[in-house]
Amino acid sequence: MPDAIERYEALRTTADAEYAAWRNPLRPRIDVAIDQSSISNGALKTRAALERVAAERNAAVDFGRVHGYGMQWVHPSVQVTFPDGATVLYGPVREADAAAIVDEATGRWGAAATLRLGTITGKREGVPSIRQHPFFALEPERRLLRNLGLTDPESLNHYLARDGYRASARIFGRHVSEEVVRNTLNDAGLTGRGGANFPAGTKWGFLFGAPGEEHYLVCNADEGDPGAWVNRVVMEGDPHLLLEGMLIGAYGTKSKAGFIYLRDEYPLAIARMEAAIRDAEAAGILGDDIFGTGMPFHLRVIRGAGAYVCGDETGLLASISDERGMPRVKPPFPAARGALNKPSNVNNVETFANVPLIAAHGSEWYREMGTKAQSGTKIFSFSGDIVRTGFMEVPFGASLAKILEACGGIEGGRALHAIQPGGPLGSLVPASALPKLTLEPASFTPYDAMLGGGGIVFASDRNSVLVLAEMFAQFVEEESCGRCTTCHGGNQRKTEIIRRVMDGNGRRDDEPNLMMIDRTIQFSNCAHGQLSPKSMRNVLQHFHAEYEAAMRGEDATLSLKGATRFRVAQPRDARVEEAVAICPVGAFHGSPGARSIDEAECIHCQACTDVAPGAVVREAKPAAPRMVPIG
Amino acid sequence: MPLETEARAQIRALVAEFRPEHGDLLAAMHSVQHHLGYLSSEAMEVIAEQLGLFPAEVYGAASFYEEFRFTPPAQTNIRWCSGPACRLKNGGGIRDAILATLGLHDIPGDTEDGRAGVILGQCNGACELAPMVWLEQPSTHRIEFVGNLNAARAVRMARALRDGATIEASIEETKRA
Ligand SMILES: Cc1cc2nc3c(=O)[nH]c(=O)nc-3n(C[C@H](O)[C@H](O)[C@H](O)COP(=O)(O)O)c2cc1C
Ligand code: SF4
Ligand code: SF4
Ligand code: FES
Repeated sequence: MPDAIERYEALRTTADAEYAAWRNPLRPRIDVAIDQSSISNGALKTRAALERVAAERNAAVDFGRVHGYGMQWVHPSVQVTFPDGATVLYGPVREADAAAIVDEATGRWGAAATLRLGTITGKREGVPSIRQHPFFALEPERRLLRNLGLTDPESLNHYLARDGYRASARIFGRHVSEEVVRNTLNDAGLTGRGGANFPAGTKWGFLFGAPGEEHYLVCNADEGDPGAWVNRVVMEGDPHLLLEGMLIGAYGTKSKAGFIYLRDEYPLAIARMEAAIRDAEAAGILGDDIFGTGMPFHLRVIRGAGAYVCGDETGLLASISDERGMPRVKPPFPAARGALNKPSNVNNVETFANVPLIAAHGSEWYREMGTKAQSGTKIFSFSGDIVRTGFMEVPFGASLAKILEACGGIEGGRALHAIQPGGPLGSLVPASALPKLTLEPASFTPYDAMLGGGGIVFASDRNSVLVLAEMFAQFVEEESCGRCTTCHGGNQRKTEIIRRVMDGNGRRDDEPNLMMIDRTIQFSNCAHGQLSPKSMRNVLQHFHAEYEAAMRGEDATLSLKGATRFRVAQPRDARVEEAVAICPVGAFHGSPGARSIDEAECIHCQACTDVAPGAVVREAKPAAPRMVPIG
Repeated sequence: MPLETEARAQIRALVAEFRPEHGDLLAAMHSVQHHLGYLSSEAMEVIAEQLGLFPAEVYGAASFYEEFRFTPPAQTNIRWCSGPACRLKNGGGIRDAILATLGLHDIPGDTEDGRAGVILGQCNGACELAPMVWLEQPSTHRIEFVGNLNAARAVRMARALRDGATIEASIEETKRA
C-alpha cells in the first residue's frame, strides 16, 4: 500500500505541470478578479467585454480567473500574465477599457499604462511592484493570503502546486501524532479568531478526548459582523486552505465528519467551498480513504439563512441540528453536546486557515510575526469613510494610525471621529485613542472595547456617533433570539431611548435608564445579550459631550433629526423645482419661486439636497426654548 | 394522508434527497424557496414529513431566519444594505426614501400590486460601493448590485420599479446625476 506521502507526490506531478503552464503561459492570459466585491463592481461585465474584444480581434490571449488582491476600491481588477511569468495588476477596468487591456496583453505595451497598479510577480520596465503600494505598507509578508493573485482559487492543482496539502499528507501518514499536532498549535499561540480567543489546540483536545466514535468538526463561517469580510476572503480566495485546516483538525480531534456553516449572504463562497470539497474528494484528499490511509473525513456545507445569533456556536449547532438557531447556556460545551447532539468542536474559518501554515512551517516560524501576547498575522477588512476600502493581512500589533494612513486617510479631507471594531457586539472608540491603538486584543481593553473578528470601520465627523449606536441597537434588538427577556426586552427599550435622544426628545432619566438596561442585560444567556449594550455604553463613556449636546437638541455634524431641519435657502434657484419633484413625501409647499418645506412632513431623507445642494440646505434647527420633561 | 396534488408532488421531488436527523432542514427549506419563491404551509408539511418533524417545528425554524418567507415574493425586491459603511453615507435616508416612495412603512414590505418589495440586506463586504442596494428578481434569480447611491437616485429607482419599469431601466435611473 503506497504511503500517504507517495500519494501526495503522485498528485503533485500533474499539479506541478499544470501550474507551471499557468504561471508561464504559452500566450498571454488575462485573469479577471472574481470575488464578491469585484462582482458587485461589475467584474462579470468587464470579463464579458474583454472576451468580446478578444474574439472580435482574434487576439492571441487566454482567459482565467483570480481572487482580488485586497485593493477593493480599484475593482473590477484584472491581471495579465505574460509568457515570461510576469504578472501585472490593473484597475479599475471597466467595459470601456477592455480594448486597452487586450492591446496591452497582446503586444501593444503601453496601451493600458494608466490602468496599471503594479506587478504581482516578475518585472516590467517602469512598473513598480505592487508591494510598494502604500496600501500594503503594513504587510511584511502574506501568509494566509499567500495564494491570492498567484492561483486560480477554483483549482485544486494550483493549491497543491503551491505546496498545499503536503503537511496534511505527512500528518495522515502518521508521521505526526494527534497530540503533537495539537501541541504545535498551542506552541504557536494560535487562538480562536471568532472572538473569544481560546487556544485552538486545547479546544481540539476536548473533542479528541470526548467519548464515542461520532465526533463532528464544525467550521463557523457565519461571519455575521457587518463590516467584516475576512472569512469570505479565505473561502473565495483560497478554499483549500480552509479544507486543509479542517482536514488536520479532523485528525487532531478524531472526527470523521464535519460541517461548514456558511452564511447565505456569501453565494460565491458557498459555491467555491462546495466545489473544493468535490475536487478534494475526487482526488482522495477528503472522503472515505484520505491519502490511501483508510481514514475517512466527510465535509458538508450548511447554508445559513440570515440569523446573526447562528454565529454563536451554540446557536449554530442548534441550526445545524434542524432546530431554531437559538443560543443556549453553556455548559454543556460543544465537546459534550454539539451538532446532532454529538460531541463537536467549532472553530472560525481563519482559525482553521492558520493550521496548515503552522503544520507546514512550525510554531517558531509562526511566532516570528505578531506580539508576545498574540502571535501570528490576521486578516482585517477596512471600510467606512476612508479613501481605500479593502483587506490586508498584518501581524498582530500593527499600529492603527498607520493602517488608517495605508487606507488613504479619511475621505473628503474630513477628520476621523470614531473607530468601530468588532461589529454589533463590538465597540465605538474615539478618534483621540488612535495614536495608542494597535491591532491586538489587549490594546482595546482600556477603552472597554473589543477588537473582534477583523472588521474595522472608520467613521468621519460627518455623522454623529449616535448614528452608528442606533444602527447597532436596532441590529442587536432584531437579532436577539428572544429566549431572555433581559436581552430581548432590554434591547427594545435601548433602541427606543437612543431614537428618542436622536429625535430631540431625550429625557433626563434616559442616561440612568440606559445604564440600568446595560447592567440588567448582563443577566442573559449568551454573549449576544451580554455584549449588546457595549456600543451604547461606549457612547456614554467616550462621547458624553456629544450625547449631552443631542439632549440639548444640538449636533455639530447635522446628522440628527432632532437637531436639524431642511430649508429652501434660495427659492429662486431653478434646481428647487427638481428638489420638489424628487421629494418622496411631497414636503414642499407654496408655488414655484416661493417654495418652503413643511418640517412635520419632511422625513430627512436628503433627496432634495442631493439634487439641489445649496439651494436647499440642511441646517441646525434654530434654538427654541425647550421644555425638558422630567421622567 | 393529505391528497397527493401536483403541487405536493413537485415539493416532494424538491426535498426527496433529504433525510431525518441529518442536518438537512435548512437545505430543504432553501431548495423549496429557491424553486417556488416562498414556503407555503403545504411545503412545510411536506418538509416535515420528509424529515420526521412536526410542521410546527419546521415553521418554528423557518420563522427564525430573515431569509424565509411565507407568501409569494414581489416581482423585484430591493435588498437594502443595513451595514455600517452604507449607514455612514446616508443609508438610513436612502431606506426611508425608498419606503416612502413605495408607500411602505417597514422592512420587509411589498407593494400591494406585488411589483416591488423591500427586504433587509446585510453587508457582504463590498463596502467600497457604499451606499448600496441589491435588486433581486426571485423568479429568475437575477441579482444586480446598485452602488454609490444617494437618496435622490434611490427615489428615481424606486419610482421606476413602482411604475413597472424593468430592472435595467430602473438602474439607468440611478445613473442620472
Ligand atoms: C452573537 C454571536 C455571534 C457570533 N458570530 C460569530 C461569527 O460570525 N463567526 C465566528 O467565528 N464566531 C462567532 N461568534 C463566536 C462563536 O460563538 C465561537 O466563539 C467561535 O466560533 C469559536 O471559534 P474560534 O475558537 O475559532 O474563535 C459569535 C458569538 C456570538 C455570541
Ligand atoms: S442573550 Fe439574547 S440572543 Fe442570547 S439567548 Fe438570550 S435572548 Fe437569545
Ligand atoms: S429631506 Fe427628503 S423628505 Fe425632507 S424635504 Fe428633502 S426630499 Fe423631502
Ligand atoms: S456596509 Fe453596505 S456593503 Fe458593507
